[in-house]
Amino acid sequence: MRFVRIILWRLLAGVGVLWAAASITFVAMNVTGGDTAIAILGGPEALPTAEIVAQVRAEYGLDQPLPVQYARYIGRLATGDLGESYRLRVPVAGAIAEQAGATVRLALAAGALALLIAVVVASLTAGRETPARAAVSGAELVLTAMPTFVLGLLLLFLLSFQLRLLPVAGEGGAALVLPVGTLALPLAATMAQVLRQELDAILEQPFILAARTRGLGEAAVRYGHALRHALVPLVTLFGHMFGFLLGGAIITETLFARQGIGRLMADATAATDIPMVVGITLLVAASYVIVNLVVDLLTAAIDPRGATA
Amino acid sequence: MRRWKRPLRRLALVAGAGLLAACGAGGGDADPRARRGGPNGDFTYPATDYAEQRPGKPGGTLHASVGTDTGTLDLHAISHTNAQWIGRLIFDNLVYLDDKGEPTPWLARSWAVSPDGLTYTFHLRDDVTFSDGSRFDAEAVRLNLEHMRDPRTKSPLAAAYIAPYVDGRVIDPTTFEAHLSRPYAPFLDVLAQSWLAMMSPRQIRLHPEELATRPSGTGPFVVERYERQKGLILRRRADYHSAPDYLRHRGPAYFDRVEIAFVPEAMARYAGLASGETQLVFDAPPQNAAAIRADPRLVYDSRIRTGLPFRALTYNLDRAPWTDVRVRRAVAQAVDREAITRSVFFGEVLPKTDFLAGTTAYYDPAAAGVLRYDPAAANRLLDQAGWTARDAAGYRVRQGQRLGAEVLTWSSPTLTPINVAVQADLRKIGFDLRIVEMPLSQYTERQHTGDYQTLSAGVWHTNTPDALYILHHSGEISSARRIGQNTAHVRDAELDRLLERARESSDPAELRRLYGAAQRRLVEIVPGVPLDENHSLVAYARRLHGVIFDTSHNTPVLTGAWLDGDAR
Repeated sequence: MRFVRIILWRLLAGVGVLWAAASITFVAMNVTGGDTAIAILGGPEALPTAEIVAQVRAEYGLDQPLPVQYARYIGRLATGDLGESYRLRVPVAGAIAEQAGATVRLALAAGALALLIAVVVASLTAGRETPARAAVSGAELVLTAMPTFVLGLLLLFLLSFQLRLLPVAGEGGAALVLPVGTLALPLAATMAQVLRQELDAILEQPFILAARTRGLGEAAVRYGHALRHALVPLVTLFGHMFGFLLGGAIITETLFARQGIGRLMADATAATDIPMVVGITLLVAASYVIVNLVVDLLTAAIDPRGATA
Repeated sequence: MRRWKRPLRRLALVAGAGLLAACGAGGGDADPRARRGGPNGDFTYPATDYAEQRPGKPGGTLHASVGTDTGTLDLHAISHTNAQWIGRLIFDNLVYLDDKGEPTPWLARSWAVSPDGLTYTFHLRDDVTFSDGSRFDAEAVRLNLEHMRDPRTKSPLAAAYIAPYVDGRVIDPTTFEAHLSRPYAPFLDVLAQSWLAMMSPRQIRLHPEELATRPSGTGPFVVERYERQKGLILRRRADYHSAPDYLRHRGPAYFDRVEIAFVPEAMARYAGLASGETQLVFDAPPQNAAAIRADPRLVYDSRIRTGLPFRALTYNLDRAPWTDVRVRRAVAQAVDREAITRSVFFGEVLPKTDFLAGTTAYYDPAAAGVLRYDPAAANRLLDQAGWTARDAAGYRVRQGQRLGAEVLTWSSPTLTPINVAVQADLRKIGFDLRIVEMPLSQYTERQHTGDYQTLSAGVWHTNTPDALYILHHSGEISSARRIGQNTAHVRDAELDRLLERARESSDPAELRRLYGAAQRRLVEIVPGVPLDENHSLVAYARRLHGVIFDTSHNTPVLTGAWLDGDAR
């Protein structure tokens, strides 16, 4: 019952979030965007005839007052119709579907790699005052502070350009290494910091001492007992980190010439492609809702103490 | 001695000594694409750049990269710069220009223009098919012109370029008659540009939605796959035989495949070329030009586009202080174009002081010196205009008013440093240029409503000197009824007359006189500040041979290109 209630409540809130996201994006794009019809028709270096401008206004309903446009727009969204992209002249849903797979692959790979690195690094260095720990902490600090595009450019320059180890762009697995690394390293650094702090505290706990006095080895203590207790904050953190992955995708996809919705979003925003921007915003908002729901459910499953009956 | 800057500087010195007659190519240049330059910045590239010099070897795949994706392959529906060279891969046009800018046969074998300039009769090839099997004939031409101007196509360019076209008559399958509402000699010029390429009549009629992603043309390559934000994969059309005579290329293209990747990050494009992953880069980053030129395996080519130069400022002649021609001229003479192009474009673009690109037909170098950098002259002009006093900040004042203007712009990695540099130059003559940055779409709206003192960053590339009409004829000022590119709001009866008569004339001697006079008139009017020539920047592997440049925009044409060591 507990899970069902959490799910229902979250889904209801989720619809509200989506409505708010669509509305805010719609208003923001219309307030800052200038004349949408003119923007669609090629920007400052174009010569659309009056007839063509009129056609665009009529076809996209831009000749209507803004509240009417808004009502029509929300109405269409409610039926699941995301409309046609002004820039690409194709349905928004199709254009997003074409690009979303690449972003999902990138984000999943980066998330998994970050988790792996964080767990390994943190469990190896927690509760130990060694030079290795100091070095790792320093690296983490640098990685969390460095903007994604700087890290990406550095990796591109070193591994691809100077050492010629990896391709700049392309399809194969090797071409995935740089973008995934660029996204995963800062994420891993943040997660490792949090995880190590947790582990440090847990390793001081009486039950760890008890486990050691039972004669358990170091590995069994660390991975069998301490790590499980440190997972709750990490799962919560991962929900937040989802946002980082999406933001980082815009930069990573552009830098490494990958397909994806991050790059699609950047181009759509620049071109005042309102249906595309709203469409991607909705997708991202929906993903947030779902990820946070999953995080809550996982937290409840891992740590039953916080749950109510 | 591959850089054009060096030969050019030397030429300038020689010209100063009064010995300009003898200077030709960048003497002893190992680069086969050595450039010739005149003393006043007029520029001709060798005619050998524009036609195939020797047969290549068939086979292989070309890997290329470019910074931006056009978003659609329906070239009638966009104004994107890259449409020109993409079009040359997939489509053919009715005519092709020669290196003097004169129309030559392509899909039209010949044509005749009626004495009143209102009827164009095209005699078409009868042996050409589109890649979807439909025939190229007079009805195909008619449907293409209709598609360009159909409001549903939402054309931002092609429709305007054929605005005088009224209707067309299919006389027989190989004869098409176009009727114009007024004489419009540039009609043939614009028909040579890829935004007006010939697409499949079957698709236009029955499947217009296919034009965006897999259009059929009669060109040397066929679209195999077009994936947005990723790439365009083309394969050779084995039965292609309709390259323009002027290219001197017979039969199909040499490459089996051409794969173009869309790579937005400049450094990644450069890295791809340096590592050999790609053999050709469109939008080759100027910041890497020195490194590319230093690499013996690579070629960097910075070529002046046809059309109009890049304008740093466009004055709104309806607004003070630009109503005073002395202020307009003073500001134009206060901008140090050499220094700005050196720092922003690493010297890869040619500074510019007049209003027509040096590569355009009927360019007249006589106008080049008038607005040259001369801060002393600028100061004298402002003194004469009565701006003699200075305020505490060092700016000129007249009757309690500070001399200055607001310039609208948008944020971009190239534009911002240019604006700031121009601002600094103008401060030195006591002129307060206030930079107002806004989103591009807001900028565009204000450009069309005429709500500005000054605009930054204007370019217009096309293949005809009629660009001067588009930018400076009084009928091209935006109004509630139409959108125009005369953003300086030039209303000059003499200029109007010259540009109108040029549209009516097909006599080269008369055109030379008319366009020459128009260019000289423009440096008297001073509608803005030209900064540099607008360049097409490409880089490629030296083992890529047979790159022909397009007479229309000076961009690469790959019909005759082939790779050494990659052929079968």
